[in-house]
Amino acid sequence: MEWLNPYHLQVASFMLINAILGVSIYVTLSTGQLSLGNAGFMGIGAYTAALLSTQHQVPIPVGILAGSLLAGAAGILVGIPALRLSGVYLAIATLGFGEVLRAVLINWESLTGGAVGVAAIPQMGRVILAWAGDRGFSPESLGLQSNQFISLAVFLILLLCTILTVAFFLRLSRSRVGRAYAAIRLDESAASAAGIPVTYYKVLAFSQGALLSGFAGALFAHATSFVSPGDFTYHRAVEILVFAVFGGSEHIFGPVFGAAFLTVVPEALRSISDYRYILYGLLLVLMMVFRPQGVIDPALLRRVRRSGKGTPA
Amino acid sequence: MKRNGRVFAIVACALFAFVFMGAEKAKKAAKPKGEPIRAKIGVISIITGAGAGYGEAITNGIKLARDEVNAKGDVLIDLKIEDSSGKQEQALAAAQKLINSEKVVAIIGPTLSNEMMVAGPEANASGVPIMGTSTTAKGITQIGKFVFRNSLPESQAIPASIGKAVKKYNIRKVALLYGNDDVFTKSGFDTMKEVAEKLKLKILAIEEFQKGQADYKAQLTKIASLKPDAVFCSALYNEGGVILAQARKMGLKVPFVGGNGFNSPKVIEIAKGAAEGLIVATPWFADKNDPKVKAFVAKYEKAYGKKPDQFAAQAYDAFYIMTNALKAAGTADRAKLRDALAATRNFHGVLGKFSFDAERDVVMTPNVLIVKGGKFTIFN
Repeated sequence: MEWLNPYHLQVASFMLINAILGVSIYVTLSTGQLSLGNAGFMGIGAYTAALLSTQHQVPIPVGILAGSLLAGAAGILVGIPALRLSGVYLAIATLGFGEVLRAVLINWESLTGGAVGVAAIPQMGRVILAWAGDRGFSPESLGLQSNQFISLAVFLILLLCTILTVAFFLRLSRSRVGRAYAAIRLDESAASAAGIPVTYYKVLAFSQGALLSGFAGALFAHATSFVSPGDFTYHRAVEILVFAVFGGSEHIFGPVFGAAFLTVVPEALRSISDYRYILYGLLLVLMMVFRPQGVIDPALLRRVRRSGKGTPA
Repeated sequence: MKRNGRVFAIVACALFAFVFMGAEKAKKAAKPKGEPIRAKIGVISIITGAGAGYGEAITNGIKLARDEVNAKGDVLIDLKIEDSSGKQEQALAAAQKLINSEKVVAIIGPTLSNEMMVAGPEANASGVPIMGTSTTAKGITQIGKFVFRNSLPESQAIPASIGKAVKKYNIRKVALLYGNDDVFTKSGFDTMKEVAEKLKLKILAIEEFQKGQADYKAQLTKIASLKPDAVFCSALYNEGGVILAQARKMGLKVPFVGGNGFNSPKVIEIAKGAAEGLIVATPWFADKNDPKVKAFVAKYEKAYGKKPDQFAAQAYDAFYIMTNALKAAGTADRAKLRDALAATRNFHGVLGKFSFDAERDVVMTPNVLIVKGGKFTIFN
């Protein structure tokens, strides 16, 4: 079992968390709304899960659920007034929300610990190992060392979460809701004229995105066991946006691919650490020049499917 | 459409190339055993991104120490330096890589306290000694028994500087100014407030600012109007230099006592004459009258063309503490190295006499410095 390297699993785990974040921005983009508040919603999810598990000893799954729901609820609250705005104005308003949230996390010291952050959050893998250990299980029986087991457990949980998320939204895109989203993105007035309750669907998409960001944030908190306000700055919001811009925002596989690829690149380029972020930037610029719609678009997917040579990403 | 296909193929090829480059690197983990103790030590540092200045000083200090130690020949160290870009996830991934792919015996770094909060527990759970050289926040070594640091925490540096300043200038009432969105400046402020309360100083005002702020006139005007005897300021050097310049310009001439973040020649570079009278406590003083310090400064200047700062000095000492412990342990074994490290007492390095306490934290006496004539001098 030597080949099962916790380092590779760690990178893969971050790929999956980022993939969920990629889906979260895809969902809002799929109704033609550009939201930069996803880092803020991610922060809500992460802090809720972190504080519930460290201060109130709430079981991790409950904390993650609570974090996601709270982020989703915040999404509705922010979404209703913010969706009177569109395009760049919405982007600025949501960016503002993210910064306000960060300021709250910094200044509400009694609850969040301020800039110092929340440490010693139970890590999913270690909790599972301890739980299994109490029941007489030892990772050696699978031929694994405990750190391999921990990383593998985290990876598998995240993989399951990501697959379920992607499957849900793939299914959604072929449902009434998904078609309404597509109609709104193509032409809001036409959709409205055709009897689609535009505001309802826009708020729905916005809060779905917020809920997913919160979900990813909660998973992040329990994977890294430390969160601080510095994790949820507008840098993170832009990073999430870049997943969709790079991978392509017209199909759900676009942001998923973008997130996975852009997480792997800096890691794979570790050997040339001085230059790796220069290459990363260069890659994005080239992307904008040669393929502004992102790597993956529906035309590409159709072609791949027709030629039947395999699936992308 | 054809063109698109070709672009996609190129992107896909590039992706695979990256992945294999990564895999290729990961495979080399062999570690021969000979008479001298051979060991692989990992370093996690900021090589790209905003904090790269710190990372450069740290890796320079470590490399210099490595060359000296390897030249002596009783310990041969193979350094593996990984970049964290100052991000927690990257620091965690780097730690995982060093622990599991490179199979290092110990890790020096990461640079920021936040990064240590993530990488520390992982190293601790894997039984790999990890030593921070620049992590000064509270609760670092409490992560676990494999976590060490040789960076003087603010909780020891600040009482020294404030104590001396209060005695010398007969300070009674003070104003506090700090950056509230940074772990380092925030925990420095907490200590300042604690010390001020303990010394029964009257706190006239507590003012906050944010990282990267350019204009501090609002806070400084308020402070100036209250006429304090001194200002205790917890800031990093970029903000600190600007604060000093603006304070002096508006006529606030009282002594400034800074945290460790002020301890950089860059403060004087930014604030110029306004830096006069700044008091800081620091583990590192480059002009100290100590042959060890002089030799280190000379060697460092020769190798890198500039004077070593505190971060280079701390990293340099950390490497020596690590290799001395390796010698004491007699073998490149993670657990034995940990015990040897924890037993480090009265190590004489460029920072002075150094010991670990029972919690693997720093025991040493800081130097208190004041800026006079455009440079740091000993403050008595």
